[in-house]
Amino acid sequence: MSLLTILELTPLIGAVLLYAVPKQNAQLIKQVAFGLSLVTLAVSALIAFRFKTNNSGMQFVESHSWISNFGIRYAVGIDGLALVLILLTTILTPIVFLAGWKEADNGRWSVRTFYLLMLVLESSMIAVFAATDVFLFYVIFEAMLIPVYLLIGGYGRGERAQAAMKFLLYSLFGGLLMLASLIGIYIISTNQIGGTFDLAKLATLQIDSGTENFLFLGFFIAFAIKAPLWPFHTWLPGAAKSATPATSVLLLGVLDKVGTYGMIRFCITLFPHATKTFTPLIIVLAIISILYGAFLAIGQRDINGLIAFTSISHFGFIVLGIFAMTSQGISGASLYMVNHGFSTAALFLVAGWMVARRNSSQIEDFGGLQRITPVMSWCFFIAGMSALALPGISSFVSEFLVLVGTFTRYPAAAIFGTTGIVLAALYVLITVQRSLHGPTTPGNENLTDLNLREKIAIAPVIAILVLMGFFPKPVLNWINPSSHQTMQAAGYSDPLPKAGK
Amino acid sequence: MTTRTDLVFLIALPLFSSAFLLLLGKIANKWGHLFATAISASTFGIGLYEFFAMRSRSGDARSATQHLFEWISVGSFKVDASLLLDQLSICFVLLITGVGTLIHIYSIAYMSHDVDRRRFFAYLNLFVAAMLLLVLGDSYLNLYVGWEGVGLASYLLIGFWNQKPAYATAAKKAFVANRVGDVGLSLAIMIAFAQFGSVTFAGVKAGAPSASPAALTAIGAMLLLAAAGKSAQFPLQSWLGDAMAGPTPVSALIHAATMVTAGVYLITRSNFIFDASSTARLLVVIVGAITLLFGAIVGTAKDDIKKALAASTMSQIGYMILATGLGPVGYAFAIMHLLTHGFFKASMFLGAGSVMHGMDDEVNMRRYGGLGKVMPITALTFGLGYLAIIGVPPFAGFYSKDKIIETAFNAGGTRGILLGGAALLGAAITAFYMTRVFVLTFMGSKRWDDKAHPHESPSLMWIPMVLLSVGSVASGFLLSKGSALVHWLAPVVNAGNAEGGKELMRPVVVSELALGVVILGVFTAIVKYGRNVPVEAPTGSVLTRFARRDLGQDDLNHNLLVLPGQAITRTLVATDFGFIDGIVRAVGWTLAYISTSLKKIQNGYVRSYALLMTAGAIALLATIWLVTL
Amino acid sequence: MFTAPHLEYALLAPILILLAGGLIGVGVEAFVQKSLRATVQLWVALVTVVIAFGQLMLVRDQRSTLVAIDSFSFDGATVFMQGTILVLAFFALLLIADRGNFVSQASAIPGSEDEANANSDGKSQTEVFPLTLFAISGMMLFPAATDLITLFVALEILSLPLYLMAGLSRRRRLLSQEAALKYFLLGAYSSAFFLFGSAFLYGYSGSLTLNGIASAIAGNGGNDIFLLLGIVFLMVGLLFKIGAVPFHSWTPDVYQGAPTPITGFMAACTKVAAVGAMLRIFYVALSADLVQWRPIVTAISIITMLVGAIAAMSQRDVKRTLAFSSIAHAGFLLIGVIALNQSGLKAALFYLVAYGFATLGAFTVVTLVRDSSGEVTDMNRWVGLGKKSPLIAGAFCLFLLSFGGIPLTSGFIAKFSIFTAAYEGGNTTIVVFGVLTSAIALFFYLRVIILLFFTEPKSDVVTVSIPSLKVSFVLAASVIVTILLGVYPSLLLNSAQSFATFLR
Repeated sequence: MSLLTILELTPLIGAVLLYAVPKQNAQLIKQVAFGLSLVTLAVSALIAFRFKTNNSGMQFVESHSWISNFGIRYAVGIDGLALVLILLTTILTPIVFLAGWKEADNGRWSVRTFYLLMLVLESSMIAVFAATDVFLFYVIFEAMLIPVYLLIGGYGRGERAQAAMKFLLYSLFGGLLMLASLIGIYIISTNQIGGTFDLAKLATLQIDSGTENFLFLGFFIAFAIKAPLWPFHTWLPGAAKSATPATSVLLLGVLDKVGTYGMIRFCITLFPHATKTFTPLIIVLAIISILYGAFLAIGQRDINGLIAFTSISHFGFIVLGIFAMTSQGISGASLYMVNHGFSTAALFLVAGWMVARRNSSQIEDFGGLQRITPVMSWCFFIAGMSALALPGISSFVSEFLVLVGTFTRYPAAAIFGTTGIVLAALYVLITVQRSLHGPTTPGNENLTDLNLREKIAIAPVIAILVLMGFFPKPVLNWINPSSHQTMQAAGYSDPLPKAGK
Repeated sequence: MTTRTDLVFLIALPLFSSAFLLLLGKIANKWGHLFATAISASTFGIGLYEFFAMRSRSGDARSATQHLFEWISVGSFKVDASLLLDQLSICFVLLITGVGTLIHIYSIAYMSHDVDRRRFFAYLNLFVAAMLLLVLGDSYLNLYVGWEGVGLASYLLIGFWNQKPAYATAAKKAFVANRVGDVGLSLAIMIAFAQFGSVTFAGVKAGAPSASPAALTAIGAMLLLAAAGKSAQFPLQSWLGDAMAGPTPVSALIHAATMVTAGVYLITRSNFIFDASSTARLLVVIVGAITLLFGAIVGTAKDDIKKALAASTMSQIGYMILATGLGPVGYAFAIMHLLTHGFFKASMFLGAGSVMHGMDDEVNMRRYGGLGKVMPITALTFGLGYLAIIGVPPFAGFYSKDKIIETAFNAGGTRGILLGGAALLGAAITAFYMTRVFVLTFMGSKRWDDKAHPHESPSLMWIPMVLLSVGSVASGFLLSKGSALVHWLAPVVNAGNAEGGKELMRPVVVSELALGVVILGVFTAIVKYGRNVPVEAPTGSVLTRFARRDLGQDDLNHNLLVLPGQAITRTLVATDFGFIDGIVRAVGWTLAYISTSLKKIQNGYVRSYALLMTAGAIALLATIWLVTL
Repeated sequence: MFTAPHLEYALLAPILILLAGGLIGVGVEAFVQKSLRATVQLWVALVTVVIAFGQLMLVRDQRSTLVAIDSFSFDGATVFMQGTILVLAFFALLLIADRGNFVSQASAIPGSEDEANANSDGKSQTEVFPLTLFAISGMMLFPAATDLITLFVALEILSLPLYLMAGLSRRRRLLSQEAALKYFLLGAYSSAFFLFGSAFLYGYSGSLTLNGIASAIAGNGGNDIFLLLGIVFLMVGLLFKIGAVPFHSWTPDVYQGAPTPITGFMAACTKVAAVGAMLRIFYVALSADLVQWRPIVTAISIITMLVGAIAAMSQRDVKRTLAFSSIAHAGFLLIGVIALNQSGLKAALFYLVAYGFATLGAFTVVTLVRDSSGEVTDMNRWVGLGKKSPLIAGAFCLFLLSFGGIPLTSGFIAKFSIFTAAYEGGNTTIVVFGVLTSAIALFFYLRVIILLFFTEPKSDVVTVSIPSLKVSFVLAASVIVTILLGVYPSLLLNSAQSFATFLR
């Protein structure tokens, strides 16, 4: 059994352990869950430690037959990209546990159920990034929706049931389209190399362009809904407004990355020609997402809605980078997935604390916080700076890589994308001014500043945001080989400098 | 090329001290300001040490580098965090750390009553660090980090009293305007990478000759956009006036002496781009000329002393930008004016601060008058700065500005006459509005009410002012003696191949002309504002009112950018719910409608069920029959 | 002179055993005293089913032989489907045996004196057990029969008892009886179609056996009006039984009216039998003529899926909702018929098992949700059930998710394999439609889940009666099968694979 499988199982074991704890002892339940998430983190750290940077293939590979009739295998393995996303998962989970210590207390169901769902979600997120069998990926891709659905619907705020429903329907719809493509490519494999869902094998198939386009679309739309890319985004704001901070972090920070991850891992690898065909369209959608998301963020009154739309804008950048098909673009996009994970985490957690204290998520209800709750305000400010990709903070590196990578192939797109940084400045600074600056809004006079637990929870996130701004190298060293792989699979190579030296 | 190991401390010391003071919190309240000042002073020490070390070296060995670590490396995009200290950057290092330290000292007294003084000094250190990174980075991307870093510091300091909504807004405005410039910088870097496969100064310089003119012009234009944002040049200048919301020492350091001149540094640093593209140079001189007049005109109309000085800063930087656009000869003069301006403008701002200190934060010059008697030192230092800026020999401004006007005339042809004329006109207006400022503030009869008790500021405040005014007296002469600075900078801006440009008229003539218009300006101002100045500003002519409104730039931005932006936002918000999400909901409704109408078939009567079956059977037959045909 | 035909009793035994069991049951009705009757009947029925299953297992390796003068094909598919029917029936019987679902005296007029008396002196209806056994025997014969006469006989054997059983509901008797009557009338009507179709086919091919028809088609081409009429009318009869649009109208009414255990039994077992027969007829007899019938079956399948899924959205009654979902599933099962390849058959077989158990489970839950006046099927009163009894509600959600084809439930693998088969058969259109319909279908499954878990319960309380041992056994079995086939489907897929053969 490879370390990966152990890593997948650890949270599940934790979920089982929760039932050894008496239901009433919420505190103990939380501690057990938190401890387990730390153990998971340790295991993932071990994997990262053992991971070999120099080889670009899959590592920690393991494969067993699962559904022999369809050549379906339990096959896992990770490359650099999968590794960083798994680390993102395992790092964020304990943080949100700590940050959202009280979130589960007045949910629809017990505290135990909350952590059960959370741990199941963590396990499935790890598994989805580790899966190298397309069917296995699909099954987890779909199954992991259920815990999120229950987390939003069971522990969320406001229109939670509807939001959860919308989220689930969108995702399932995309999933079904993907299922159709999945079956299609499986049949093609049965005709050519004998039925299999092995990613590497499927990549070798000869598919006629008409079919390939349709299969590509099936996968792509599923991922575009998940990512979310304009115009498939309308489920996100509702979900973000209704979900608890912890859920939002895992949903936007990690889960949605499955979409962009899938584009790299499946769309491009399996359907290189279709990718070429659709790239122009996708680039346009990405640009629209960047600007559209930014404008709607400016127009938001609800702080969680704002974060949701900023994410749409940022996902636009990620998709742009992926389909720019340059090593800077893809590596930048991959790095962006990680950075956006932490950036959104910071935003959602701090916003969550603000909302919890003020008991309102309307931005105009805040104001003058900088002088009442300085620490919280600083955290929010730094998170905001990471959202507008301030140089020196992690997101800048990835955003610039994406843009420069795009520019070398699609200058116009890069120019449009770059204008997004002005809008980013606007939506962040307007919010900062409304919430932190100005005279104290009535009702905020005696809000309490962050307590120790909250400080401990947010500190690592902020630290990572800053550190990764100056030392992205380790992560890039993991990512670069797999972006190289992707470009080879798609048959692209970096454009050369126009002016010879 | 020499490799040094201590350059990093120039940045690291203030950076960590800033972080240190912010993280430490209230504990550091007592000594935070002293600590920060000490740090700043030590950076000045390192600066001096490096300067003399550089002097002692010769030729290429003068420029020093320090490689810190590999920052980004993806494919062929490789950027290292490494520093470059050459003849150009050392000038800035000294200016930043020197003036910076003086202003630290000044602020100890100026901010003594502010509860958040520690935070203020932390920001100041942050600014020093960022600004030093800006001038020390060896690649455009490193520069970019400092570039946005100073933007952040500026944002924090303008909004230092952000509990006042207007100030918070001013801070935001400054940041956003700078971001527009940053778009230019980003694009310039991207083009550079696409063209040369490198973003280091050296790499780009090496590639520049073989690049297409179009590309070079594009890079130049984008760099100019960046410069316009940071240096408050037309059309991105509107933020500088509002930036005066920040504490006055900030205005002196960031919005007069150092940060706002970053644009000049950027263009000078990228001389290899601009030398290779005459179009880019043309754009530069146009922007410079427009701005120097623009700022000067606005300056004539402002009653707020800080805003008047801000307008003047804008105009003076216009001179520098103009100079950078005049080719290899211009760069050195631009930098010279930049340095002298650093001295006299800083001293005047500190003077203004001292006045406000004495007049409990009154900024309206119409309520000053006759302050010369009650605060002599301030009056003196301010006066020296004033003489320097209007370019009276032998004060600093005379040397630096004169050279620029001269070079402008020598640009040749109509262009030369136009630019030279603009510069000359600017000089006249400068003389006018600066005299206006000086007269309104220090001379004439007192116009303040008796509640105010103007008094001279404490020594901690006037000592820096004195030192700076010394600079504004001497710097010009020292820098231009045997054209010291020109030769010093020659290796960086390769002024070696600078063709002197055929002289339109002999330098002496230019100087005399300049002096003439200056005297004219001074005279008019004295006549106009010498006596019986109304305390309330008169309505004034259309032009005056237009000038008071910053020549309508804000209104233009408002109508051209803000309103459409808001409109777009509103529309999109509506669209998102109404249309995009609407489609989804519509699908739902349609299905629901079909569903309910299907119920009608399900009416429970066997006969209609049977009928349906029969119909079905017939339909099947029909279809199969058709299929078979 | 007359020679007795040679009958392979061993292979026919499962059916014969059931018939015998039914007869014993009738005897029990006559001779066993009232108090013991219910228990004895249940045991007789259960034992019969078990023995029949055992016998089936004993002889399963002698498959692929035509028996009883070629009117009965004992092949892989037969074994698999008969086995499925028996297993499902076993659980259905346990459900039927649960108290209080059936009228105490069917003959008594609803709301009359004697009904009251009957109820008061605790009479209980027990003929239902032999009836069930007879129905099962018919169901087992139906998918195995290889000539049209036997097919028709089987059809009637399985239908007649069901007509009766549908009318036996203890509560809302009028509705129940109305349902029974509708079912009977329309069933008769469809049987007529079936018979008519058989006649035409005989007229065309001069043979009653499926193989005979097949060879006739192979011989003198497909394009013949008799053949077409035959196919269509035969199809109507079959489509009626599986509840495909537009021959589905009876389903909601009957499902709603019939006693819930019977509904479960019908929904699960009849589907197997009818789909089985349909598969056999189209695979064996008509496969050569697919150009004619495939397009319309495709059309029917699509319409059925759509109507089933969409109509279910606006239903307020749980049983009606399940009825429409079963209609939608009929559409999905038709995909297996259209695929017309071995994997299509395999997929259909798997689908039948998965669907059968989920349906049985779902209706089991329905029997448990009650108020003072018995079962509550009004969905608005199921609101907040998840709070009261999370386990039962959770199980119900599981079945719904399985219906919706969510991964890690049996329903997903079923859909996956049947889509795969269709794709393999080159029929991608229907895959696309299938996918879209699944999306629509999900909408109302989720709506129910929201009702159960995410909506605050209203005042009028429904209680979830503590399930008796039998019922909880059924429930547990359905849950386990649904999950097991979702997580490790190879358990069944392998055997479905090996049994998925029709004897030609």
